Amino acid sequence: MDDEPLSPELRDAAEAYHLPPDTPREEMWQRIQAARQAGAQPGGGEAPMPPQVRTLRARQPARLPLWLGIAAALALAFGLGRVSSRPDTRWAADAPRAVAGASGGSVAFRVAAVEHLGQAESFLTLFRASVRSGAGRDGLAAPTARQLLATNRLMLDSPASADPQLRLLLQDLELVLAGIAQISPARGSEDLDIITNDLDRSAVLLRLRAAVPAGGGSPARPGVL
Amino acid sequence: MDDRTLIARVLAGDPTAERALYDAHVDRVFRLVYRLAGDRDRAQDYTQEAFIRAFAKLAEFRGEAALSTWICSIAVSVALNGLRKVKRLRNREVELDVVEPVLPTVTRSTADPDLKQRLAQAIDDLPEGYRTVFVMHDVEGYTHEEIGRALGVQSGTSKAQLFRARAKLRTALADFARD
Repeated sequence: MDDEPLSPELRDAAEAYHLPPDTPREEMWQRIQAARQAGAQPGGGEAPMPPQVRTLRARQPARLPLWLGIAAALALAFGLGRVSSRPDTRWAADAPRAVAGASGGSVAFRVAAVEHLGQAESFLTLFRASVRSGAGRDGLAAPTARQLLATNRLMLDSPASADPQLRLLLQDLELVLAGIAQISPARGSEDLDIITNDLDRSAVLLRLRAAVPAGGGSPARPGVL
Repeated sequence: MDDRTLIARVLAGDPTAERALYDAHVDRVFRLVYRLAGDRDRAQDYTQEAFIRAFAKLAEFRGEAALSTWICSIAVSVALNGLRKVKRLRNREVELDVVEPVLPTVTRSTADPDLKQRLAQAIDDLPEGYRTVFVMHDVEGYTHEEIGRALGVQSGTSKAQLFRARAKLRTALADFARD
């Protein structure tokens, strides 16, 4: 293909496109280590539940009927899907690492967990972007956080959380979501500092991304064009 | 230390080797991901995720390409998937009114347009495949062979996409060139 290179003027201008700052090596390395350590929690036994989670969950009203309702709906939806569509086992190949190992959990719960983690990841990504840009103090994200928090609690009580790694992730996620749900406009920046510290310390966002399928572009299939 | 020795030591659980691998590749990965994302936070996130995945999958690395190319392919995949997700969310206008625009935007200026600004906007407007190849080749200096391996395409495809990307940029900046 006979291609003419860019003019020197355009090439100079192109070099200024999204000019990277210095690499924040140490900061990223610490987060990578934190995420890898969190991902390598001992497989046996249930991780100890942080006191704040225990308190939050104790405050919650009885939710067994709702839990049962959602479980029934998921089971029904899945059953209908099996009846009405041709057999398709692609879900098994795409199941995220954190969820795939859940033992004894039904397929429906695993699918619901994947969906929930994906939504939480998207929400937290946007939330953090809004905080960094100076927004997020007015508590407008709280309703979405409350919705996700409710689902998160259902997931914690469901068979999907039989996997200790997933359970730990859901517990850390609960802390972050609870913080966002309770943001008060009056003390917004203080709340946000605590929440963003929680996010960084527990590397929740990174762990969510590692747990959720990458939508067809996994490293094993690096083709992206 | 060559790649093979380094990988063997990482797989054996040597933390010094893990850090050495990270140090050897992080600058290149961060630069490329930042060029694609245009945002420090997201570039950091994608770089971190790329290394987490690379460490997790290191045992699967067969050495068909250079280690740097393999890590780069993971990073590009992570970044493009992340950017697609952000784009989808923006299009859906999720009920999160607090969020500022999260994709990099450059203000379009009709009066006295600055070349860098106009070019940046034109690059942002390129289709994803063209933009990725353009950024990798013309901005970051990757060869077509490296791009092909990183993106899982033939080097000829990379050349064709670069050709089309440049053509689109020239068209987009045609009025600027006439001034």
